[in-house]
Amino acid sequence: MTPTIQLKGVSKFFGNIIALKDISFKAQKGQVTALLGDNGAGKSTLIKCLSGVHAPNEGAILIDGEPVRFRSPRDAAAAGIGTVYQDLALQPLMSVSRNFFLGREISKGLFLDMGTMNEITRSEMGKLGIDVADPQQPIGTMSGGQRQTLAIARAIYFGAKVLILDEPTSALGQKQQLEVLRTVNQVRDRSDIAIIFITHNDLHAKLIGDRFTFLNRGRILADGERAEIDTDNLRNLMAGGVELAELKTEFKQ
Amino acid sequence: MAGSDERLRQVGLVQDIASRPELGSVFGLIIIVLTFMSLTSISGTFSAMWTNPIGIQAWVELAAFVGILAIGAALLMIVGEFDLSMGANIALAGHSFALLLIFGVPVVPAIFITFCELALLGFIIGTIVVRTGLPSFIVTLGFWFASRGLAVFLSQTLVNQSRLSVTEHLKPPAGGGEDPTLIDNIFAFDRAFGLPFDAEVYYFAVLVVIMALMLHKTRYGNWIYAAGGDPQAARAVGVPVNRVKISLFMLSACLACLLGILTVMTSGASDPQAGDFRELHAIAAAVIGGCALTGGYGSVIGAVLGAFIFAIASRGINFVPFIDNNLFRVMLGLLVLGAALLNQSLRNRVLKT
Repeated sequence: MTPTIQLKGVSKFFGNIIALKDISFKAQKGQVTALLGDNGAGKSTLIKCLSGVHAPNEGAILIDGEPVRFRSPRDAAAAGIGTVYQDLALQPLMSVSRNFFLGREISKGLFLDMGTMNEITRSEMGKLGIDVADPQQPIGTMSGGQRQTLAIARAIYFGAKVLILDEPTSALGQKQQLEVLRTVNQVRDRSDIAIIFITHNDLHAKLIGDRFTFLNRGRILADGERAEIDTDNLRNLMAGGVELAELKTEFKQ
Repeated sequence: MAGSDERLRQVGLVQDIASRPELGSVFGLIIIVLTFMSLTSISGTFSAMWTNPIGIQAWVELAAFVGILAIGAALLMIVGEFDLSMGANIALAGHSFALLLIFGVPVVPAIFITFCELALLGFIIGTIVVRTGLPSFIVTLGFWFASRGLAVFLSQTLVNQSRLSVTEHLKPPAGGGEDPTLIDNIFAFDRAFGLPFDAEVYYFAVLVVIMALMLHKTRYGNWIYAAGGDPQAARAVGVPVNRVKISLFMLSACLACLLGILTVMTSGASDPQAGDFRELHAIAAAVIGGCALTGGYGSVIGAVLGAFIFAIASRGINFVPFIDNNLFRVMLGLLVLGAALLNQSLRNRVLKT
């Protein structure tokens, strides 16, 4: 099966700094690809390459087997990349439905069609298991997990076939983390969206991941299906494995 | 299941009203009206202020003048910006309009050209703000000096006068009107039709309706709130934040232009001191009306109520002889502080409920 999104030998340099080197990985629709790495591993740069913020210096990005080149985040969004950033890009003082449609409002003539927007917001949130009693309430009244779900629902509604989730659980309490994982699971069950789940939480990756890609210091450390990866050893791969690998090279020199 | 979330609850009508930005100013207006009603009763001037047409005109016309600017001030504050140059731009627009008339340009083209000039000025101010990232407070402080300075410089250089009288260039009104020396049909239509208030009151009423609808019911209004609330987040979902900001600086300059031309039309002259301090009155009205200086929160209706509070307090003091006129400024200062505090606590409640 053609991967929904595939990277082939992608590199990104900032001046003399090698942020990413020779990154190759793929994500399939209906699967969660967990992208793991410690701080500074290059996760953020990789997301920005995928979502059109940075253009890679080398390598290719393929969507459904076709090479693509994003000049802007708008390009990437149009190609079906939906990125949910850690800060979620939400407006706390604005209502739930206004946030949902911000930048892509539905108008009837001159004026906003709030009725339709409220209805769509309610039903799209409902699909992900959140019952929005009042889509007109300010989003500041929602819990962190619910906001995450809103950002995900918005990305899906506006045509994401690749959903990139940047550390969706990191800023949340325990209960809300599970809420988000449940949401991710529901998106996977639709089986038409490839999910790239970026995290440094090995427990969450283990719970939800179908594929695992490990990033370290801008390079791929390991990559494979759940069956091929020693899931009990995720933490080691993220941190310890690196240390050992580095030590070995140090000894050789 | 996350669906039946215990955190979500129905927001009742009371809550809904309490979360409106203009709530504080509604209370403020009630308090101010009651205060001045009692004060004027005590000093025996109640009917002069509240039932006599001339008394009512005094504060309604001031509210309209400050209110037109306050609409611009409020929209800019919602988008997270400031325009200190509004008052000076009134003088610049008035002088530009008057000079054009003096050099023989007919009234309608002169109005059109002046609006284009002020829109361009607003565009320049807005572009400087979004391109340089300097606080708009600083940028428009520069134009606060420059606009009035330019107005006086031009008039002194070109016609060797700083106050420009243009009565002979303005036509008498279409249908009657008691003063044939002033006036034109477009902007002084109140006299032509014998309406009770100055033209600016009607412009104000129409502008309030248009701007309130625009802010709450259109996508552009949605973008104004978003660009002020969190510009980065707004950009991330494709809101053209810079264009929204620049367009509001243009609107603010055009509102000043409207007032500049209206003033010339009704007084028959352009005064270099026109609109002095009005930018601060307008900002005060917007703050009293619930606009947050940090952006993302506020309303046009609130600013309108704020303008009425300002005007009633400002004119009302003349009807109450036993209170010193200077006390008015003290009162206004306390009013702005009190309103800002009240609005802040209301705003925090919206987020915490």
